[in-house]
Amino acid sequence: MEMSDPLPKLLLQLISSAFQRCRLAEDLCRLSLLLLHQSAGNDPPITSISISDTGIGCSLVEFQDLRCPREFNGANIWDGLLSLKTTCFSDDEVFCYHINLGECISNKRIKRQPSQPKNGAKFSGTEVSLSVFASMDALVAPIVTFFQKMLVLHLPNVTMDLVVEQGASPGTQTQYVFVMNGDQTPCFTASNLERLKSGLEDCVLRHGNCLEMMCEQCFSDREHLKVGSGTACPEENRKRPGGTMEVVIVISDLLETTRHCSRSCEGKTEVVYFDNFSPSPIPQVALSALKKIDWKSYGLILASVNDQEGHVFLEWENFPSYVQIQIALHWYHKKYPTRHKTEPGINLVKKGIKSALDDLKTKHEGFLLSSHSRKICSYVPDLARSLAGLIFSSTDMDFQGDCLSVLGFQPQEAEREAVEDYIQRKIVTVIGMNESKPQKDQEAAPFLFFEGGSETSHYEDEEIEGEYYSTSLE
Amino acid sequence: MEGNFQISETTNLLRKIKEFTRSIVEDLAEGKSPEISINRFRNYCNDPEADCFCSSDEPKGREILTLRKRSQTYRIDMLLRVLLIVQQLLQENRHGSKRDIYYMHPSAFKAQSVVDRAIADICILFQCSRYNLNVVSTLNPFTLIFLLKNYDRLLVMGWLKFREAGRKFDCLSSLNTAFPIPVLVEEVEDIVSLAEYILVVEKETVFQRLANDMFCKTNRCIVVTGRGYPDVSTRRFLRLLMEKLQLPVHCLVDCDPYGFEILATYRFGSMQMAYDIESLRAPEMKWLGAFPSDSDIYGVPQQCLLPLTEEGKTIKHLYLSLIHCFSETDQFSLADKKRTEAMLLRCYLKREMPQWRLELETMLKRGVKFEIEALSVHSLSFLSEVYIPSKIRSEGSFH
Repeated sequence: MEMSDPLPKLLLQLISSAFQRCRLAEDLCRLSLLLLHQSAGNDPPITSISISDTGIGCSLVEFQDLRCPREFNGANIWDGLLSLKTTCFSDDEVFCYHINLGECISNKRIKRQPSQPKNGAKFSGTEVSLSVFASMDALVAPIVTFFQKMLVLHLPNVTMDLVVEQGASPGTQTQYVFVMNGDQTPCFTASNLERLKSGLEDCVLRHGNCLEMMCEQCFSDREHLKVGSGTACPEENRKRPGGTMEVVIVISDLLETTRHCSRSCEGKTEVVYFDNFSPSPIPQVALSALKKIDWKSYGLILASVNDQEGHVFLEWENFPSYVQIQIALHWYHKKYPTRHKTEPGINLVKKGIKSALDDLKTKHEGFLLSSHSRKICSYVPDLARSLAGLIFSSTDMDFQGDCLSVLGFQPQEAEREAVEDYIQRKIVTVIGMNESKPQKDQEAAPFLFFEGGSETSHYEDEEIEGEYYSTSLE
Repeated sequence: MEGNFQISETTNLLRKIKEFTRSIVEDLAEGKSPEISINRFRNYCNDPEADCFCSSDEPKGREILTLRKRSQTYRIDMLLRVLLIVQQLLQENRHGSKRDIYYMHPSAFKAQSVVDRAIADICILFQCSRYNLNVVSTLNPFTLIFLLKNYDRLLVMGWLKFREAGRKFDCLSSLNTAFPIPVLVEEVEDIVSLAEYILVVEKETVFQRLANDMFCKTNRCIVVTGRGYPDVSTRRFLRLLMEKLQLPVHCLVDCDPYGFEILATYRFGSMQMAYDIESLRAPEMKWLGAFPSDSDIYGVPQQCLLPLTEEGKTIKHLYLSLIHCFSETDQFSLADKKRTEAMLLRCYLKREMPQWRLELETMLKRGVKFEIEALSVHSLSFLSEVYIPSKIRSEGSFH
């Protein structure tokens, strides 16, 4: 389904608004979508759509700028009419409106209808209904994908469901429920970033939230995921309202089985973008930022950035096929609704991504090292072996015990392999640390007395030149 | 007594090794990058003003090895590998040769020179000699190979007596017999001599000629040869003789760049062993000959005067060429002229021995070289009966 088709786009906008209303309610909410196939035999088929949510009441502001053409590719797609019912918690009645999106004159777009009484009941919610000339199959797929992406945000107070009814009888009803994985539900006080992290982890383990549980063919357990997160905020001023760029990167090692399930996107990296708590196509500025990151200093070589039908994939050179990287970017403003939404600047996006990469590097030793550091790491096993050897082969038991306790081992129980392993990890950590902290004293010290050239280095080069008979005979 | 001294040296070194290991382990445990500081030594430089302090035995700068650079990490890796072996040798009171160490992990070390460098680094780090590490330059004397005398580099004859690890060497009793010297020079003691001077000759052939001519019967001296480029034991032995006997030392080499290099190594030491130079050089050694000017004075015939090579290989000694089959560095690929030009740049020639430098310049200018044997063209015993005695008597050697 092409995103240029306006109907799914409209639907997703409506769903997105509903989702925002639920998010802001700060209470358990439900977002329901009902697709009903109208009486058979119509050509083109008619589907009636109803989007209901139990979030805060809807403000009509969002309908002022909503647009959707009535025709597409020469065919009529809908009549342009929306039916809206909404109420806030404190309202006494449910307000009803008819909205004509085809109407250009703003005060004629929204027509108030008679309200429905609430009879003292306390609730809030919104229901938006419309009918379109489209088959349900064409609409279900983008909605499901959208909901799957929404799950990444891991907002605990919203459950989403989609009901598709083909006909009147119960056997023709299909229901999709989108709810977060029960045991990993973050608590209500978790920050957006924490939720994005757990949401993306879940998404990775469930192959883009297509599965209900973690895919056991591909992953062993959650603990093997490497997750890094970063935030970047621009400076606030009167012209620009504050915003936050959050980035989460999840790197997973697929199990070394011969065949992974078809859903794992081996060797490719998917980038998911959220704009104010709504999945959205990735803006150009973010694409540019991705291209401009210095991936080499993290040991990665970017081959290409592909934008296919709203899915953005990064491809790498010389990348092992059993490793997967998933990136989520979320740009949001604290306040809602914002009519003047701003886009993040390219440097801000870069800063967020870099911050997440650095976080990964700090948390996992030896990870994302540049190729220079990896070359140095090739000596690590040897170094560790020699050091462990020097400790264990010493006849001085006090010295042995001393060294082992410095390393955090019980001298009596320490096993050589475990010690070697530990030393290896420590050396790799140090190498990674050296990379992130460049040496401050790179320049040579100034001469005290005279302006000499770099004499010492010159002589070093000459060192062996004259000595042409020596080496093996010494 | 000696034994006790050695034992305490070993204990001392083992203690230093443990301290070193401990400090690296501590650094790593704290998440700090370890740093190893190694002094740099050189015995000469190419400073045109000779305005340097190469003549001092002090270190000239330091290198700090860290895990930031690949080459340094590699160097640390090799150092630790060899250190592990050294610790074991010291603890078990065994000796190993450099070659032995190489063969323990040939795929890791890849070349003998890598082991040599690691050993040098360890010596500098712990401020000791290679001998203290229980590492010897040739094979363990108590192996079968020792029986093959060819592996002894140093030959000595003359008015000398000494003991080595309890065995008596009485050169005095058989003045014209060559005595080979085993490698553990540190175990040489009770040196007694009635000689007036020490003569060092480059080649074994010249040594044999002198033996044949019964040189030591008529000249009260000690004759030594390192059989070409002198190894560490030869230089050590010579230094020991000089210290104990306080005799003048004369050096007789061929009149060519290779001979001069040998002379310079005896007198000024080698760059590779610069860190241990004090025990390896013979600072007041005199150059007896052969000088370029000798070809005129002593009438060396034209056909014996060979041109200095521009390019290509010069294989001087068959023995050495065989050694080079086993060594990694191709040391004969530089030409004579280039070698001579490089040697002329060395600061110690300008500063300490300008007369030597003059002769070398003459050699380069004339563009010819000749071997010692060329002096014997008039009579076989010319060398032993005329050349050497007259030069020594008339103090015709440069000092």
